[in-house]
Amino acid sequence: MNKHKRVRDGLALSRALPDRSLLTMVAAMSLLIALTFTAAVGAQSLSERWARGAANLITVQVPDPDKTPVTDSHTTGGTRIEAVLGTLKTAPDIVQLHRLDEQELDALLKPWLGNTGTAALPLPAVIEVDLTPGGVLSDDLVSTLTTIAPGTLVEKNDDWRSQLHTVARSLLFCAGLAIALVGTIGAAVIGMATRLGLGSRRESVTILHELGASDGYVARRFASRVAFLSFLGGLAGTLVSLPPIAILTHLMAPFSGNIPSTMQNGESWLSILKASLIAFWQGAAPQSLLIGLGCIPFVVTLIGWFTAQVIVRVWLRRLP
Amino acid sequence: MIRLRDVTWHHGALPNEGQATLRNISLAIPQGGFRWLLGPSGAGKSTLLRLLHMEALPRSGDMEILGTEIGSRSKRSTLARLRQRIGMIHQDFRLMPTLSVADNIALPLRLQKRMEGEISQEVDALLDWLGLVERKKARPVELSGGEQQRTAIARAVIMRPSLLLADEPTNALEDSQAARVIGMLRELSDLGTTVIVATHNDTLVQRFPAPALQLRQGRLFADE
Ligand SMILES: Nc1ncnc2c1ncn2[C@@H]1O[C@H](COP(=O)(O)OP(=O)(O)OP(=O)(O)O)[C@@H](O)[C@H]1O
Ligand SMILES: [Mg+2]
Repeated sequence: MNKHKRVRDGLALSRALPDRSLLTMVAAMSLLIALTFTAAVGAQSLSERWARGAANLITVQVPDPDKTPVTDSHTTGGTRIEAVLGTLKTAPDIVQLHRLDEQELDALLKPWLGNTGTAALPLPAVIEVDLTPGGVLSDDLVSTLTTIAPGTLVEKNDDWRSQLHTVARSLLFCAGLAIALVGTIGAAVIGMATRLGLGSRRESVTILHELGASDGYVARRFASRVAFLSFLGGLAGTLVSLPPIAILTHLMAPFSGNIPSTMQNGESWLSILKASLIAFWQGAAPQSLLIGLGCIPFVVTLIGWFTAQVIVRVWLRRLP
Repeated sequence: MIRLRDVTWHHGALPNEGQATLRNISLAIPQGGFRWLLGPSGAGKSTLLRLLHMEALPRSGDMEILGTEIGSRSKRSTLARLRQRIGMIHQDFRLMPTLSVADNIALPLRLQKRMEGEISQEVDALLDWLGLVERKKARPVELSGGEQQRTAIARAVIMRPSLLLADEPTNALEDSQAARVIGMLRELSDLGTTVIVATHNDTLVQRFPAPALQLRQGRLFADE
């Protein structure tokens, strides 16, 4: 931008373009993009966390739990379910073991069996295994279990996980679509503003053209002004988006496993905002979010530059 | 070298022979030549000059400007570069309304990215020669017709064009000033600029004898 050295070619673009409305529109677009992007990043990190949680929960089904175990090393007289529980207790990575009692089984099976109750059926015992994050049940352990109690099923929650991934991907796709749409509308608005500026400088542009100014020169003059205004708008929109985004990341922190939120009931919005901004400043927000938000003014600048270039060059085609 | 062969131009896209503004124009002017362009009002003088300035392109026929063949398929950048070598004094001056006299005159040099020091030297010399020094900061709307015309003349000659097209360049000037201007244009042609001057002023034509292009109803009659 030529703020210091004014270009004296008669275009006087600082007065030709609808500066204020262009700035406001671009700022509003940038705000929308920032919020959409934040929502997408938030949904992504939540779904990742939930998917990880789902992966950590494993169910083990033991048929005929009350029969004696098969292996001779466990001939202490217990039942198969006791032997299985005993083996699982010795395994690493396990946080918690829980055998579902009859009521819980009833609740689980109700959709399939109705209210008839489960007492009459030869049901397997079900154990919920809570693994540490990233922990696994080794194949050795699984084969030991099936030896002790033939027919034992170890069920990992892969279905859950893939479904969560699908949901997350769909959310991201929708957010991407929304951002692309807002960007396109933004380009259209910038294009109309450029067209308006060309209209008000029609005479000057024609004179410049007749004096031998190239299309590139005229397009560059308009594009740098439009890009400058777009940058300011983008910056303003992104800055305005920061307080709500800071609050959002602050509120989401406990769910996405970051720094726990210190919010209490009855706290005033002002102090929430203050705490949120401080946390945001200190890095509570994920890095990908910060990088993305930082890119917005520049992306908007690029959109402004290219749109103005195209509009001006097309307009100039009416002059030979 | 300027060369036209069978050039036709009419307003609008459809050829309508009866109403064509320029019909079957053929001419050739060597580099450094000086030509008067004469003819009654409405004969097509301004239209021919606009064509030579490539503000419009021939509807048919061939046109060669400064050694370059011009047609609808000419590259836009080629035309722009050619225009930078052509000085044009429009009948209606066409000054940049937002710029001062000095900045208007400097414009062709600024577009060529010349050094500011060099530009102000050239501008000052022309302002002085055309008696515009006191008006250098004025905008076109604040100028008299004659002052506007002198500004347009200065802007057309400041970059020492290879081709100078002048559309009634002295009609707003006093006789003595008009003669000075035409004298300068003659000097330019002596230095190698091809000059074409459209005028109604017979006194000037007699005072500066040169070959003339006679236009009547869009047809050219050369009397050399
Ligand atoms: N863009 C245009 N659209 C329609 N008609 C045009 C256009 N340009 C020129 N003409 C017509 O062409 C004819 C010649 O006009 P031109 O201005 O070239 O005449 P001229 O010889 O310069 O006259 P003058 O001496 O009065 O300046 C006129 O009848 C005018 O109506
Ligand atoms: Mg005319």
